[in-house]
Amino acid sequence: MTEMVTWTCTGCALLCEDIQVSISDNRIEHVENACMKGKARVFGCKEQAVPTIHGDKADIDDVIKDAARILRDAKNPLLYGWSNSTNEAHIAGIELARTLGGIIDSTSSFCQGITVNEILSGSVPSCTLEEVREKADVIVFWGADPMSSHPRHMSKYSYFPRGELRQRGYEEDRTAISIDVWQSRTAKICKNGFHRIPPGKDAEFMRGLIEALSGRVPKLSFDYDVKRILELAATLKKAEFGVLFAGLGLIYSIKEDITLLSEFTAALNQFSHYSLIPMAGHFNMRGFNHTLHEKTGHIYRVKFVDGKAISGVEYSVIEQMKRNADAVLVVGSDPLASLPGSISKRLKDIPLILIDPCMNLTSRVADVTIPCSTSGIEAGGTAVRMDGKTMDIHALVQGNNMSDEKIIERIIEEVG
Amino acid sequence: MALDVSKFIKAPEYGITIVTYRDVFQSSVCDEDRNGKECERLSAVIVLDATEMKRMGIQDGVNVRLTSKCGSIVVRAVSSPREEQKGIGFMVNSPWSNALVYDETTDGIPEFKNIKVKIKVTNEEIMSHRELFPL
Ligand code: SF4
Repeated sequence: MTEMVTWTCTGCALLCEDIQVSISDNRIEHVENACMKGKARVFGCKEQAVPTIHGDKADIDDVIKDAARILRDAKNPLLYGWSNSTNEAHIAGIELARTLGGIIDSTSSFCQGITVNEILSGSVPSCTLEEVREKADVIVFWGADPMSSHPRHMSKYSYFPRGELRQRGYEEDRTAISIDVWQSRTAKICKNGFHRIPPGKDAEFMRGLIEALSGRVPKLSFDYDVKRILELAATLKKAEFGVLFAGLGLIYSIKEDITLLSEFTAALNQFSHYSLIPMAGHFNMRGFNHTLHEKTGHIYRVKFVDGKAISGVEYSVIEQMKRNADAVLVVGSDPLASLPGSISKRLKDIPLILIDPCMNLTSRVADVTIPCSTSGIEAGGTAVRMDGKTMDIHALVQGNNMSDEKIIERIIEEVG
Repeated sequence: MALDVSKFIKAPEYGITIVTYRDVFQSSVCDEDRNGKECERLSAVIVLDATEMKRMGIQDGVNVRLTSKCGSIVVRAVSSPREEQKGIGFMVNSPWSNALVYDETTDGIPEFKNIKVKIKVTNEEIMSHRELFPL
């Protein structure tokens, strides 16, 4: 019998909740409304992970025991990944880090973590994607290309749809602006709203805009038509409800000057109503920050000392993998593929446990591999969307593996 | 037999900055099969301004060696359909671009989108995943 279900996609942090999936005999047959990235997520990877110890197939109970032994024996275990896991798995991970007196960090450490921190600390105002859909009239994509990273972003929320106060949609009621180093797919849609700036000059351009907002003519060190920046400031000022989508292109460029985000939004809010939403990539990158914040008061890079959580750059995944970590548990990530090459090379020298539904590049250096079910496909729970809204995610089919949450709980039992 | 002197002539090297970007086609293919040939074909590419390519003597579609402070890889060079800023190459974020990223940071965030490299034409083959991280 074929059953039609409405599903929340875990292909990216947009968590589209309107996906229609037909399921027959515990098999996904057909998917509607999802973009190609979402479909790729639903149908899963080609090569599924199997339980292994040093590359040899092993019994699942044995691999869990071995993982627990490695972590127990380590002086400085690092638990890393988490952006493809549910909030419930995060809670279990934090508990394991506390039990071990270890370090926990996520991919947000070198992604949008610093932006989420600005929002959770109250320095930068934010809003929901529903508010963007219903009210936004000026939409700024800065260092962000949702057409490539979150394919339904513009059609579902930020630009194309009709909204309560935007009945004439993008044709008349919305202005989209792209500030980027090249003409991305999103920038093409923004047409004359595209402003090309040199790499690394985002902070200077932002300061120039702050000047222009207050009526002064900005001086820039690079070649840029002053008239255009003044026109841009005028457009920003006129907004009734403006939103800034901050992409990694912006965040990496101003990371040493991150408080500039609050300066910029404050300058805009002297004239209008502006909010900022980080373009979180993985479906639950933000959930990790929220859960850890709730449990420890920190959003990432936490070490537990006598049960107390401390946070600092020295506990970041990058610093830990470079020198200190003497065992690593990776959950739902592929550090060999996604971390700097120089660090990746060190991974083969550290005992490494990999919990993942799929074989990936890191599987090649993992001492222990533990297959888990795919969150949002075979395991449910909750996750936090890019704008901070908590969403329920449901399993579509029953898989053969335990969830990462359950696996971590089993490791805790063994360690304890 | 005529001597192939081109072997002994060192290809000139130029300094450029790589800016990385996302691509939904590449990421969907790689999510499905990270070790696959299609993922490699869509990832091991650098996009350059056409005039810049001419200046550096790089023809559309040839292989180039990119060398940074911490890594060296071979990818295919393709020319951008648009005019791009000078001195910049664009690579989709992937294990290939990451292999060039240096891990020295003061804030725990490496320069994933600002990678200084030397570029030169090469006859070598595009590096596979496995060659990026030899065990
Ligand atoms: S935009 Fe993201 S959440 Fe929506 S269908 Fe595509 S991958 Fe899934």
